Amino acid sequence: MGQSQTNLLQGTLDLLILKAVGDGEQHGLGIARRIRQITQGTFQVKPGSLFPALHRMEEAGWLSSFWGESENNRRAKFYRRTKAGERQVGIETKQWATIAQAMASALKAT
Amino acid sequence: MGWIEHLKAAASNLLHKEQVETELDAEIRGYVDAVTEERIAAGMSLEEARRTALLECGGQEQVKQAVRDGRAGGGIEIVGQDVRFALRLLRKSPAFTAVVVLTLALGIGANTAIFSWVNAVLLESIPVAHPEQLLVAHWTAQVWPHGLGTSSYGDCGGHHATEGGNWNGCSVPTAMFRTMQSRTDLFSNAMAFAGPAGLDLSGNGAASIARGLLVSGSYFETLGVPAAVGRILEPADDQPGAAPVAVLDYGYWQRAFGGSAGIVGRTIRLNNVVFTIVGVADRGFTRLTPGKSVDLWVPYTQVVPLGISWAGKDLDYGSWWLTVVARLKPGVARTQAQSVVNTLFRNEALHGAKPVWKEGDNPAMALVPAQEGLVGFRQEIGEPLLLMMAAVGIVLLIACANVAGLMLARSAGREKEMAVRLALGASRRRVMQQVLTESLLLSLAGAALGVVLAYAGASALAAFVATNVHDAFRVDVRPDATVLLFTAGVALLTGIGFGLAPAWRGARTRAAAEFNKGTAGGALEATHGSRRRFGLGSTLVVAQVALSMVVLTGAGLLLRTLEKLRSVDPGFDTRNVLLFAINPRLAGYTGDGIEQLYKNLQSRLQALPGVMNASYASDALLDGSLWTEDVKVEGQSGKDTVEAQMLSVGSDYFKTMRIPVLRGHGLGAAEMRPGQTMAVVNETFVRKFVGAREPLGLHFGPSDPKETQWQIVGIVGDTKYEGLRAENGPTAYVPMREGEATFALRTAAPPEALIPLVGKTVSDVDANVPILRMTTQSQTIDQLLFNERLVARLFSLFAGLGLMLACIGLYGGCRMKWRGARGRLGFGRRWGRNSAACCCCF
Repeated sequence: MGQSQTNLLQGTLDLLILKAVGDGEQHGLGIARRIRQITQGTFQVKPGSLFPALHRMEEAGWLSSFWGESENNRRAKFYRRTKAGERQVGIETKQWATIAQAMASALKAT
Repeated sequence: MGWIEHLKAAASNLLHKEQVETELDAEIRGYVDAVTEERIAAGMSLEEARRTALLECGGQEQVKQAVRDGRAGGGIEIVGQDVRFALRLLRKSPAFTAVVVLTLALGIGANTAIFSWVNAVLLESIPVAHPEQLLVAHWTAQVWPHGLGTSSYGDCGGHHATEGGNWNGCSVPTAMFRTMQSRTDLFSNAMAFAGPAGLDLSGNGAASIARGLLVSGSYFETLGVPAAVGRILEPADDQPGAAPVAVLDYGYWQRAFGGSAGIVGRTIRLNNVVFTIVGVADRGFTRLTPGKSVDLWVPYTQVVPLGISWAGKDLDYGSWWLTVVARLKPGVARTQAQSVVNTLFRNEALHGAKPVWKEGDNPAMALVPAQEGLVGFRQEIGEPLLLMMAAVGIVLLIACANVAGLMLARSAGREKEMAVRLALGASRRRVMQQVLTESLLLSLAGAALGVVLAYAGASALAAFVATNVHDAFRVDVRPDATVLLFTAGVALLTGIGFGLAPAWRGARTRAAAEFNKGTAGGALEATHGSRRRFGLGSTLVVAQVALSMVVLTGAGLLLRTLEKLRSVDPGFDTRNVLLFAINPRLAGYTGDGIEQLYKNLQSRLQALPGVMNASYASDALLDGSLWTEDVKVEGQSGKDTVEAQMLSVGSDYFKTMRIPVLRGHGLGAAEMRPGQTMAVVNETFVRKFVGAREPLGLHFGPSDPKETQWQIVGIVGDTKYEGLRAENGPTAYVPMREGEATFALRTAAPPEALIPLVGKTVSDVDANVPILRMTTQSQTIDQLLFNERLVARLFSLFAGLGLMLACIGLYGGCRMKWRGARGRLGFGRRWGRNSAACCCCF
């Protein structure tokens, strides 16, 4: 991807993070790797956008965090979805579907 | 997220800043470490893994800053950081900070000072409850009312002021006020006032003159002003036979009575009548009409016992002496009340007990909101104040340009710093914000100091005004909320105004060019960049000089006007004349006693060492007063009378004032004797009213032949009377036999030294006769030219200030130029140029 990194739509990142965290617990790097995995490498989230988003979402109450041990026995900050976060997934999924559909039909039209 | 959670998060971020920071640091470091480990596991060397991990992360500090910016309360934190940083920087260059803060303090202070005057005189509403409900009755007509005496006290502007060819005034007779007051369907209350009168107050230490306003008993009720101590005046106080009572002004109570607690029930003598003080008015009630101060209030029915002659005799109908202010009843429209009152007024004025107009004269009465109608001092000083405001606005612009220049010069020295900041990853917005924070801090500091300067300046101005106008003048120029808001706004605009250019420049610093300075290419680029900056710097300097030229030219023109007015020939010698007024009636003199007293005083004063001549007249020339009379000149065709200026004078008046006697003789002791009807007229009188006939021996006088007809025995040169601007008018001088007199002493040397001696001479003759005012003729002329002097003086001050600031700016500009050119200067020196020459090549 390199320089032509797909620009993330505002809001898309939030949804991707919420999706990546899933029902489990993930630390920053885990979330970044998971996003790359579930988007088949299309989105590589850099710390410069990841951490501000995580902190913002935590303040918004969609994520909660705690300090724990990583797989390599390192202290790491883990994130977990809250109830509000789950609701947000529903809301944003719906919004995204609407946008995707609209864009698809717009691009199909000649 | 609700705003409550947001606030909580913000508070927690700000309060537990250290913990939050440590955690953030650990989190990001953990991320980099984890990536490194991943890479090592994938077979990279430790160093290579670390390098690529760091590269992927893209600058830990930027990430942290991005997190901070996105966090709740991040903005506040950044501002706090910027402020701390700016303070540190400013502390590091105290000279720069001091010059900028002082410059801004002068600019903002001048604006605040003038604005606090504009606020007090033009903007501030009357300090009473619901001032918008107050209306003042204001009449207009096409001709001046016939056959009645009117009084005005400067509340509604000039008495003779014409508005679109109409005569107007705001005094009415008592009956008219009573009629208005009885309309409780329109007004919730109404009051009337007259004066203030200078009252001879005794019974509180040395006798003094107190400014007493004659008011209806409903005065305080109508205004809604409570008593601070005791009680206010009540409607019963202005009924016939009511005991004489007075209410004191709060400030006067503090000044003259030391705020004495036992003031209620104390008695004082006003013009020899015993009054009981019943209370002190509320502290907040500082004025009704802008600039007019009052020491105490007494019921208007006391006008007769107080012996106040200007009120006239037929107070109910013939004498128009009361200004009426009514409070509109809620729910009644102003226009509705006005049409009712107008009808009442026309009926009274056209067909009432004493008609003063004919139908065609078109008299009308309007109810003007008191805020606009009671102009007072606003009339005189309103326009000069706006002119001043413009001048100080320009001074502030100069200060802004000046400080912008200094900031630019400083930012030239800070380009390296900016470059480092940008290279370390600060965004251009952050750099700009930082520089703006600095300028706002400077302007706020300037404003804080400016408010102090402004208060001192505005008070000094108030003192200058008070010593230069006749009437005790008081205006509250303490900075109030409006003034402070104005100052804050000005400071903000100023800060942005002078901060934008350097901020923009700071943000546009090209890091690479800065670091490359010293290399050939870098130097070229730097020089190129400097050219542009010096363009802006030079523009600022040019603007400063141009703006200060505007104010300087204005000041020059105003001074020239003043000089011209000063050099007008008044027709008499104004140097070395001492003037003082006395009113023996206040001390109980009547009839012949007054004349005896005057003659006695005249001979004693004449005998004083240093006094060449002494005389007296009903008024002083050139102090703004004027007495005119309709007279009929013998043999003049037509039935109409002509208007002549009159002055009654004592013996030797022309000799004392050095008014040349051109024909016949002046008025000496012989002409002063009772029964003598000899008079002297001036040249203009002869030219206008006598024509080619022989003037000496002609008679003139009131149209009623039963009244005294004067015989012309001499002709004197023309003099200015009311003011320096007016043309010389036809004037008649008649012997003075009664009333208040102004003594004039011609002295050999400047007369100020004689003041104590003259005061002693008067009190030796009769200690009960108070001296109303003692000034020199030059002082009265100064007072007459007060407005011109005020404006010219302040304009000169501001022009000087502007010029000084421009000089500082010029110096700063030179320095900046010199610094920037230092590299090339060395080159120049080698070629034999000196540094001074380089300074001047903008």
